[in-house]
Amino acid sequence: MHVPARSLSQDDSLVHRLDARAKLAALLGLVIICVSTPPGRWGAFVFYAVFLLAVAALSRVSPHHLLKRLLAVLPFVVLVAVFLPFMPGQPRVAVGPLSLSRGGLAMFATISTKGLIAVGAVVLLSATTPAAELLAGLARLRVPAIFVMLLAVTWRYLWLLADEARRMKRAAVARGFTGRWLWHARTVGRMIGALFLRSHQRGERVYLAMAARGFDGRAVGVPPARLRGGDLLFAAGSLALLIACRAVLP
Amino acid sequence: MHIPDAYVSGQVNAATAVVSAVAVGLAAWRARRTLGERQAPLLGMTAAFVFAAQMLNFPIAGGTSGHFLGALLAAVLMGPLNALLVMTVVLVIQCLVFADGGLTALGSNIFNMGIIGGLAGYAIFSAVRRFLAQTRRGFMAATAVAAWASVVLASAACAVELAISGVVPLRGVLGAMVGVHALIGAGEAIITTAALSVVMAGRPDLVGAWQPAPVGASKEAQP
Repeated sequence: MHVPARSLSQDDSLVHRLDARAKLAALLGLVIICVSTPPGRWGAFVFYAVFLLAVAALSRVSPHHLLKRLLAVLPFVVLVAVFLPFMPGQPRVAVGPLSLSRGGLAMFATISTKGLIAVGAVVLLSATTPAAELLAGLARLRVPAIFVMLLAVTWRYLWLLADEARRMKRAAVARGFTGRWLWHARTVGRMIGALFLRSHQRGERVYLAMAARGFDGRAVGVPPARLRGGDLLFAAGSLALLIACRAVLP
Repeated sequence: MHIPDAYVSGQVNAATAVVSAVAVGLAAWRARRTLGERQAPLLGMTAAFVFAAQMLNFPIAGGTSGHFLGALLAAVLMGPLNALLVMTVVLVIQCLVFADGGLTALGSNIFNMGIIGGLAGYAIFSAVRRFLAQTRRGFMAATAVAAWASVVLASAACAVELAISGVVPLRGVLGAMVGVHALIGAGEAIITTAALSVVMAGRPDLVGAWQPAPVGASKEAQP
């Protein structure tokens, strides 16, 4: 998969300063409301998109950055849906030389619209919320501590190991590795084995360093924090607006 | 194989989410009781490792490529329930941070790749291993079969979920998904065994599912 540049969130704005819990509630609420909207309710879908664009504009994240990340996942979102119009089924419509199924075409339109809005919401969430805040938000939302600790350790070492994997791949290419056929996968497999040994050794070193600093096996607690008025207003207002639109708009 | 939002119906997602939540909750509860303080950071490191390993594409034919899943490798290395936790962490980060895999489809994705790929894959590994010689070769063969099956079964589960949701007819999608993943599964089997042989050469103590026969006995078993 495509992993974009290191820091996914660096700017500062009203949206960045919202509590992670408020953003999680509003944007994840948007995904659920959007996905559960019946097909054909185009008024509602247009409103969801406008809502997302408004939050994006408020966040002042560069549109270039958002678009780049959107385009990176878009192929996976429409990958299967692209075939839907070509499925057998009546009635059919002719588009140029192609004969397409009308039901499949409608399903393709609905799925890609919903998928696009859902991906947009998640991209916006991660572009305006540093991982540390997202993790603190999850902990304050009562996600089990062991799970939050796992997420935190994973996130901390993900870039490091991804870099390690890239370096190993580049070194193999420099030695003349050109994987083109299935049996070349063995080489990639050995690379992955070596990557595991290296990451495990690193894990042991990290554990010793943590133990030396007093780690006793308990996950570090996140201090509770009250939601501010603005956070509550944003979350409740967004959800109320979105739910109302899902109920009312055609 | 990451299902995006809006493909799978709400009922299917709700059902898989409940099953996944129960299984992951059980795995987390057991991990908290049985993992030593030393292993908890190592589990996170393993999740980061699976994430990085999934970025290394492997070739299939003439330039097309598939990517590694890693559920079975994790299960053989650190046990099926820990593997489920590792896959869940990987899928949650991919979904929340990289928008890879839908948020509402998270339950389905954990079900397919964690429960089917990890737990069911490990069950197949244990079953196959019972029928093979208790040697290194038998161990590797069982790993290869289970790695292939874990990918194929996960893709079949994905196809069934799409079909139940009424997106595509079962016959077409099942054939297409299983056909493609029979090939990707072969890559998974090659990679899993190659990776495992490197780990067993360097640190056999890290392979949880491998309990070697007492020293001397294993030498005699292998010609």
